Amino acid sequence: MSDCESLGNCADSRIERLYEYLDGALSHQDLVDIKDHLDDCPQCAEEHDLECVIRSVVKRSCTEVAPSTLKTSILDRISQLKTADH
Amino acid sequence: MNLTTETAQVADFQLSTTVRRPAVQGSRERGRVDFSSMNTTAPAGSNPAEDADVDVATESEADRKARFERDAMQYVDQLYSAAMRMARNPSDAEDLVQEAYTKAFSAFHQYKPGTNLKAWLYRILTNTYINLYRKRQREPLQSHSDTIEDWQLAKAAEHTSLGLRSAEVEALDHLPDSDVKRALQAIPEDFRLAVYFSDVEGFAYKEISEIMNTPIGTVMSRLHRGRKLLRELLADYARERGLGVKTDARTAVPAGARGKEQEMQK
Repeated sequence: MSDCESLGNCADSRIERLYEYLDGALSHQDLVDIKDHLDDCPQCAEEHDLECVIRSVVKRSCTEVAPSTLKTSILDRISQLKTADH
Repeated sequence: MNLTTETAQVADFQLSTTVRRPAVQGSRERGRVDFSSMNTTAPAGSNPAEDADVDVATESEADRKARFERDAMQYVDQLYSAAMRMARNPSDAEDLVQEAYTKAFSAFHQYKPGTNLKAWLYRILTNTYINLYRKRQREPLQSHSDTIEDWQLAKAAEHTSLGLRSAEVEALDHLPDSDVKRALQAIPEDFRLAVYFSDVEGFAYKEISEIMNTPIGTVMSRLHRGRKLLRELLADYARERGLGVKTDARTAVPAGARGKEQEMQK
């Protein structure tokens, strides 16, 4: 795993680094470095792919459509309210 | 739901019998608003379609209401999806969203046009949830997460997630939505919401910290631990369903049936 040290020196910190990479929370240079590493390291690339799959699965599973009556009842309710004066 | 004692971060309600619907919605001419160009899946940060040049101080009540209906109401489905991760059943989720929208409307004069409206709404939703539901359950969030987390993290440490084979990655991809929701519900709530805000809504750490009213370091820690727990549970479910076969993924995973099931749920 010595060639993975650009991502961190243990599995946990490497995963954390990947999270930040996927979250867009890293500097440009860090992004470039990690991308280069992912191109060269099948193990980290697999970890990256797994995380991408999890995120897409979560996103897919959690996209719900509100009952059609909800919007109507919200609009009805705010019609009875007055925004606070300021 | 009675909110009269509610003193959350948004303004108190002022019931009025004199309020009227605007005669003509959006009667003021505004810049061309193209909702279709909004990319709600992109990392959040700005919503260019919402106009930054509204003068809240001089805006008429009717205009404000029209602006609310135009800009805020488009997020009902998204807030409902988030509320389902909080309230856990459709009826409570509906109540929660309705309550949040009512508060948001009452406080809409405090919203600064041009800033992130979706994040603002999510913060109100989260506050509403904390104030209404969590108090009711008398179940402090933090202690809950402390207890569950220890054994789950210990379990997660048993097999390093770096050991997952490509077949298992593929198996996760074919898990039914119900399993994924079950896994999310099983992780501590503060972790779950952080993961949801990040993975589903694409909010940045800073935005999540504002929505959850917690430091960025805490957000990152919740995300890190929540994701670890989540992937472990998902891997468990995949194995339970016999999907995590450690042979060639392309031939071993019964993808067809699962795939169809997911398609039908969409």
